[in-house]
Amino acid sequence: MKLRRLIIATHRDIGYFFAGLTVLYAISGVAVNHIDDWNPNYVIRRDVVEVGVLPFGEPAELAAEVLSRLDVTEEPRSVVRMNREELKVFLNQRTLTVTLPGGHVVDEHARRRFAFFEVNFLHLNTGKGFWTWFADIYAVGLLVLACTGIFIIPGKKGLGGRGRWLLIAGIAIPIVYLVVVVWR
Amino acid sequence: MRAPYEAKFRGGNDMKRFLILSFAVIAMMAAPVMAGDSESYGDGVTLDEAVAIDVLLDNPNDYVGRKVRVDGVITAMCKKRGCWMQVTDQESGNGVRIKVDDGVIVFPYTSMGQEAQAEGIFEAIKLTPEQIEARTAAAQDHKEGATCDKDGPKSSAVGAGCDAPAIDEYVYMIRGTGAVIKG
Repeated sequence: MKLRRLIIATHRDIGYFFAGLTVLYAISGVAVNHIDDWNPNYVIRRDVVEVGVLPFGEPAELAAEVLSRLDVTEEPRSVVRMNREELKVFLNQRTLTVTLPGGHVVDEHARRRFAFFEVNFLHLNTGKGFWTWFADIYAVGLLVLACTGIFIIPGKKGLGGRGRWLLIAGIAIPIVYLVVVVWR
Repeated sequence: MRAPYEAKFRGGNDMKRFLILSFAVIAMMAAPVMAGDSESYGDGVTLDEAVAIDVLLDNPNDYVGRKVRVDGVITAMCKKRGCWMQVTDQESGNGVRIKVDDGVIVFPYTSMGQEAQAEGIFEAIKLTPEQIEARTAAAQDHKEGATCDKDGPKSSAVGAGCDAPAIDEYVYMIRGTGAVIKG
């Protein structure tokens, strides 16, 4: 009984400690799972604008002219003439792709997707450093939660009955998937 | 019965002290990450010298299969996965795509227009007739404002966008191992 009480206490405290992070990782997990359907980190908006025929000139001069016509006062991060017909003007989280000399501009804005950017930053360990260690501790915590969770309830609803079958089913699903998809 | 460690944390002031100490340690450890003005991705950059992108594309056979480093401006980026970026020579406008394994390295979309150093193995991929046809169709869509990544057939993408620069029937790209993006 002493051992079971220790298991319950450990499961309870680790569960409380990591509950918040588990919710965040679950949200991020779903978001990243569907990466083929959307960008989970950024909202990218695309507008097309006509600024009129542009004069000949150096890339910096052309960029200044385009920005002036668009009433943009921000200094460009960089300007690149991709080829004779295309100029790219890079602003902070915004890219203007200008067709030369006609002045057809594709204006692409990117902004962080609210809340998702942050949870994905944590989940995908973009920051590295400290978070690598904390995420490792979290992983160990999950391992402990899984192992202690198995032994919390004794008897028919535990490993002696229902729990055993649920445990087997949970292990079997990924194994069957691997057999069918990867190991065949 | 309490677990052995429970006597140490009985709530109230003990827990408050624990939380304050935890936040202080996290702030100190995370600070160096936030302070940097260059971001390193993957293995970063290990080669001392970069090959000029023009030289690389003019003499691709001299470099295929070799580890190379290129420097330039980021002019295109995988919009969803951040799994490739194009590094372009600012003078000539010639660029090469850096393809990384999905999820292993994720280039942030907001680094468009920033200077970057990137390295990896230089590869030549011969396009199939179907890929060439799909690239042409995707290019036409692009002119109408559609995004190549979204609408281009995956078969045309060679893993680095369906509009990856090609010379004759080859797409030349770098299988990226690391990069440094300047802030």
